[in-house]
Formats: sequence, structure tokens, C-alpha cells
Amino acid sequence: MIELEKLRIVIGYEFLKHIRRKRLYVVLGLTLLTEAAVLILLPALQGSYPDNVLVMAALLTIGPSLATIGAVFFAGDAIAGEFESKTGFILFTNPVKRITLVIGKYIASYIAVIALIIFGYIVIAISLFSIYGTVPTEMYKSLGLALLYGGSIISVTFLFSSFSKGAMGATVITLVLIMVIDPIIDAVLLMTNNPHWFLLSTAGDSIATVYGGYELFMEGLPFDSMGDGFPFELKDPDIGLTTLSMSIYMVVGFIASVFISNRRQLA
Amino acid sequence: MSEVIVIENLTKYYDKFLALENLNLRVPVNENIGLLGPNGAGKSTTLKIMCGLIRASSGRVFIDGIDVAVKPEQALSKIGAIVETAEFYNFLTPNEILSYLGRLRDMRGQQLKSRIKEVIKLVGLERWIDVKIEKFSRGMKQRLALAQTLLHDPPILILDEPGLGLDPRGLVEFRQIIEAAGKQKTIFFASHQLVEVAQICRQIAIIDHGRLVFYSSVEELEKKYESLEKAYLELTGGVA
Repeated sequence: MIELEKLRIVIGYEFLKHIRRKRLYVVLGLTLLTEAAVLILLPALQGSYPDNVLVMAALLTIGPSLATIGAVFFAGDAIAGEFESKTGFILFTNPVKRITLVIGKYIASYIAVIALIIFGYIVIAISLFSIYGTVPTEMYKSLGLALLYGGSIISVTFLFSSFSKGAMGATVITLVLIMVIDPIIDAVLLMTNNPHWFLLSTAGDSIATVYGGYELFMEGLPFDSMGDGFPFELKDPDIGLTTLSMSIYMVVGFIASVFISNRRQLA
Repeated sequence: MSEVIVIENLTKYYDKFLALENLNLRVPVNENIGLLGPNGAGKSTTLKIMCGLIRASSGRVFIDGIDVAVKPEQALSKIGAIVETAEFYNFLTPNEILSYLGRLRDMRGQQLKSRIKEVIKLVGLERWIDVKIEKFSRGMKQRLALAQTLLHDPPILILDEPGLGLDPRGLVEFRQIIEAAGKQKTIFFASHQLVEVAQICRQIAIIDHGRLVFYSSVEELEKKYESLEKAYLELTGGVA
């Protein structure tokens, strides 16, 4: 049997595992919940939705962005879990290359995340159409960036999962990196007026700023972003550079995780 | 008689700890060999190298003439293995997990479905075939592990303590299944259970501190040391 056929089988069963697990539905629920919160709280607290459809579209990206972070939960135990829970003793004793297993797991995780992101954007499109009677074309760019961001997050998580002893460790390290360390470095670089396009947090911001930059995004929030409220100027991320940065994270993280997994021994 | 498993000068270090030292073993086709030794003797290490799960520091293992380190997929296609305690994906059922593993081994359609039913019946899990593995006891997982080793009808079985977690009835049934399989297959069987090994295997290899200290037939061993138990105790650190 050719390796490609084995890859198809691995993807199928790995995806079945995602469907069977509660975490897919938890992330789906959180995506819906955050979008519902924006849709309910904005008119409740401000009296109405923003006048500009782009502002509302940018605010609603919080749902799919959260779904993208959900990628960490799918990918965290993909490799480390086989070693930690010892399921590798059954899986790795089959005549299938380790690289095929890792690629299959990666694709299955990515499919799950793509499904969640697309679901989030469908909710956004329906909401915007219901409120404004239109769906901005920028939404497709935002969707593309969200999909790329999801891929880069999965790659980084796979990298940690490939050498981490446990699934929880890989998940926590990735979450701390993208939600704590990265934003801190991002803020420092912003304040000191240095380039920060290569950070994952900047890449994540581009999903919302693609609608018209930070200035437009902040219109929907109750403070003046460019005025006295901020000690530094918020520069919009360059979409081209953030796309390049996410592509590098995605490819390098993935290749490194395949290489490390291939070398790893199940002692 | 041709040799289906050949272990040549196998040495394994875990950092500075020497787990296996120049192990040499040759197992003829359709022979059942029991690998005995105290905890930490190197049994599991040997089996893991044979299954391509870890790399040897030096030396080679050939399965049916195929070097495991060079062509692991080809070598693995010849074996069915239980290594350490069997663990499965809890959210799948035996039917699904066997279907997954069977398809990875190029089994398809009706042939796969009927073979799954056959092996599930053989290990006594018919009632549990569509129940998620998260509900399974340790013994039931061991039964499923045995089912997956037999699924593709491999010529070689590599078994590491397969009776672990089984109740007395389960142990007897297991022994019968392995004994029956051993009539047509080569079995490489690591265990602490001397009686179990003696019932299933005609050849015994005893290792201690990573070194082979005895390799011959059960009859010869009993002739030389009176009993398997005495031999084991004497060869692995003196009579208790």
C-alpha cells in the first residue's frame, strides 16, 4: 500500500478522534458564546450597533480568533499524547512511517480548526447581513488570515508536542507563549517603536485590523485609541509581512515537529 | 531450518546506563521462545528495539531477513506485537480501533470486517465490540491488544507480558490462544511467569543485567537445573 493511502486513513481516524472528543464542542460553544456576547452586549451597553459595518465585523472576529486558539487543544496531545498515554506502543508497531502519522495528525487537527473558523465566519456573515444588510468583502481577507493563523498555531503547538513529555505541558507552553509572552514582547516593541510583525500576537491582530486598522477597530470600543488614552501610537500590522511571518511559523514549526517526532524514541 | 528472528550483538545504553550488552539470539521459524529475566534485565528493551520503537546503540535485529533499523515498515509488516501494557484511544470502540489498524495493514472491506469479528470472538470481547474503550478494564484492554496482534495474521508474534491484568480464567484463555497461534507462528514471548512460559515455549532465553545467560530448550534446562524455577533463580543472581 502506498504511503499516501495510509495518510488518508490516518487523517480519517484522527479526525474521528476529534469528533469524538468534547474539546471540539467546547471550543465551538466558546466561539458561539463570544460572538453572542458581542452581538448582545454592544447594543445593551451602547444603545446600538456601530454605524460602520467594518467596525462590527472587526469586533466579531473575536469568535473565530478564539477558535484559532482552540487549535492548541487539538494539537497539544497529538504527538506527546502517544508517548504519555502509551498509545504509541500500539500505533507505532504498525508498518506506517512516523512522518505519515505526524502529517495525518496535523491535517486532521487543521481540518477541525478550519471547520471551527469557517463556522465562526458564517455566524459573522449572517449577523452582519441581518443587522446591516451587507457583508463586507474584507471578511474574506480576514478569513484567509484566520486560517493561516490557525495553521501557524497548530505548527507551533506540534513543535512543543513533539518534544514535550506530556500533552498538558505542550498545551500550556503554547498558550503561555501566544497569550502571555508574545503580547508582552509585542507591547514592548510597540512602545519602543521597533518592528513586531514577526510575532504571532501581531499576526493574530491582523485578523481584525484587516478591516481598516486599529483606529477603525477602536471606534467600536469606548475609548480614544489614538488620543491621550494610549502612551504610544498603534501602528497597523503590515498584512504582507504578517502573512509571511505566519507562513514561516507554519512551515518551520511543522517541519521541525516532523523531524523531532521521527527521532523520538518510545522507551 | 531458517531463522526468522536474528539478534546480532545488540547493545543499548540509556545515557550511561547499559541496558543490553552484546545480545545474540537466533530464533528458527515457527519456534516459540520465552524471554525470561528479572525486572530491568533488558527484556522490554530487546522487544522495543525489535519493534522499532527505540534505536539500538549498536548491533542489529533482523525480522524475516529485514533489518529493523533500515526498513522498519517492512519488518513491522511481519509482526504483531504487544509491548508493555496496552493502551488505546479511549473514545474509540474495539471495532473502530481494529478497523483503523487493519486498514493501515492493507486490509479492506468484508475481509477486514469478518476478521475483526473473528479475533474479537477469539479474545471474548463480542459484547464489547461497539463500546468505547474508556469503559474497559485492564484485562479487557489486554484482550483487545491480543486481538490487534492477531488481526492481520502475522507470521511472528512479539509479546511482552501479555497476561498482565487478566483474571485466572482470562490467563488460561490467553494461554490457549497463544498456544494455538504458536503452532503456525513464531512467538517471542517475554514474561515473569515461569509456568506460563514453560507451557507456551519450547525454547528459553534468560537474560540478566542485559546479558544472555542461557538459551536452550526447556527440556535441557530442566535436565541441567532440575526445574525452570531453580534455573531462573540460579542464573539471575543465585538461589533464594
